[in-house]
Amino acid sequence: MIAYLCAIGIIALIYALLALGLNLQFGLTRLVNFGVVAFFAVGAYASGLLSLQGVPLVVCFIAAMLVSAVLALPIGLLSLRLRDDYLAIVTLGFSEAVRITIQQEEWLTKGVQGLPGLPKLFAGWPSPWGDVAIFTVLVLITALVVWGTVRLARSPFGRLLRAIGDDEAALSALGKDPAWFKVQIFMLGAALFGMAGAFYAHFITFITPEQFIPLITFYVWMGLVMGGTGSVRGALFGTFLLMVFLEGSRFVKDWIPGVSEVGMASLRLAAVGLALILVTLYRPNGMFGGDSGGKSQ
Amino acid sequence: MTWIDIANLIINGLIEGLVVALPALSMTLVMGVNRFPNAATGDFLTLGAYGAVVCQLLLGMPLWLAALTSAAVTALVSAGSYQLIFRKLAGRPMVSSMLAAIGLGFLLRSLIGFFAGHDQRTFDMPLMRAWNFGGIRILPTDLAIAAIALVVLAVVFVLLYQTSFGRQLRAVSDSADLARASGIRAKGLMLAMWLLVGAISATGGVLLGMKAIVMPEMGWEFLIPAFAAMVLGGIGSPIGAVLGALVLCVAQELSVPLLGPSYKLVLSFAVLALVLLLRPAGIMGRIQLVR
Repeated sequence: MIAYLCAIGIIALIYALLALGLNLQFGLTRLVNFGVVAFFAVGAYASGLLSLQGVPLVVCFIAAMLVSAVLALPIGLLSLRLRDDYLAIVTLGFSEAVRITIQQEEWLTKGVQGLPGLPKLFAGWPSPWGDVAIFTVLVLITALVVWGTVRLARSPFGRLLRAIGDDEAALSALGKDPAWFKVQIFMLGAALFGMAGAFYAHFITFITPEQFIPLITFYVWMGLVMGGTGSVRGALFGTFLLMVFLEGSRFVKDWIPGVSEVGMASLRLAAVGLALILVTLYRPNGMFGGDSGGKSQ
Repeated sequence: MTWIDIANLIINGLIEGLVVALPALSMTLVMGVNRFPNAATGDFLTLGAYGAVVCQLLLGMPLWLAALTSAAVTALVSAGSYQLIFRKLAGRPMVSSMLAAIGLGFLLRSLIGFFAGHDQRTFDMPLMRAWNFGGIRILPTDLAIAAIALVVLAVVFVLLYQTSFGRQLRAVSDSADLARASGIRAKGLMLAMWLLVGAISATGGVLLGMKAIVMPEMGWEFLIPAFAAMVLGGIGSPIGAVLGALVLCVAQELSVPLLGPSYKLVLSFAVLALVLLLRPAGIMGRIQLVR
């Protein structure tokens, strides 16, 4: 039971990190990133591959964050020139391009076979204390990120970021150059995605390209939008709702007889689709919508 | 690689380009008028293909009738999605419409997967040998596909440029406010356009299914290429979308000997990013739509 709760808790916190990163990018700065999963995947693979070379896990995690952030630089620069809908499609295309590259470059990533046998965090610890330790570390890191985000949002830098989201032209007219801030926040968010990826890789211990489909990105979006964009509380509560949804759908299977595993996956995808439609239609501000969340342009 | 290989690749690229032109055209219409990239376009394609499969399998229709029926059904689904979802999101941030479109795409794809399964399907049609002109091979099926795509494109362009429907649509696309001020009734016009968009996408799906196989993810894989074609041609320009699709697909085919077929989508993405960086207005586009 402890092991099960720990596993759910760990996955929930990994999603929470993704949601907090997306909240930095979209909630605060209105940067529309539909390619969250790309940075998650790159973090997972960077850390996974390094760890297989015997590199200590702490270094692997730092490398995962750096690689994801560096990969976000060109997209961040591109985002300066693009309206949000274009950025959305470009980031979506980017995440598919990354997934296909991981799948194709077998010399590096083993392709569709994936990377089995990644070292687990706290591997030497007796069960379930290893998982409890991972969970504890994730709680601490999430708390740190929450604290940082709140500080950031309240700082002059945060006000600047919100101003970018609200009215970039006015900001430029005041003589501030929003460009570099946007790129920074894009990279910062990507670093969080990368770290989440590393945690995922060293918890699951087996990664394949199939785990990094666009659906993951939209899970995070669904959570963030349900909870309310632009607020840390919203991001965390949205992640909680998302986990209820993801875990709850396992039990739904027991109530609907005659639905196969594949059929259940279809139904789950349908529910995600329906949720995305309904939330944007009826709850654009989410449960804890921030003051700039869902406002019409 | 000889020039004959290159000619074969170019022919393949042109045929695929004519097919991709259909979703690209459908996206550019929505983008021009409703101002958001309809990410469900790919899944309208899938719906079109599966509709035709169902009509053939269960009702025993010949392929042409199955395709027409499926186009009609997809057109209704498309217009319904406008009426129920996208109409209500007008004036909200673009992200709302896009998220809803992604959601709609997931919903369509998963319902198809749930009811039709994930097995690959094909249309019931005669298999024919390729004609060989001194090494240049042409499949009769491909010729049929190209011909159908050309006819559909011709019909759409006549609608857009020779009818009052098309004039009104282009007026709304140029300036929604001005069009409203000059007395264009938007509601019926929008529904007609979404019917058209659904029918075009569905035909694209049937043609793709004729060229390869039918499966639930088929349309999604053409979302990025269709978007790249649209951007390459210039947003909101129907002719640009067709030209963009042709250029993109020929480039993709020519890259196959160098990169392998799996990297087609990556190339689409690269073209997309480059065009947005270097010439954001596309081949035929106007600058105003891009920041």
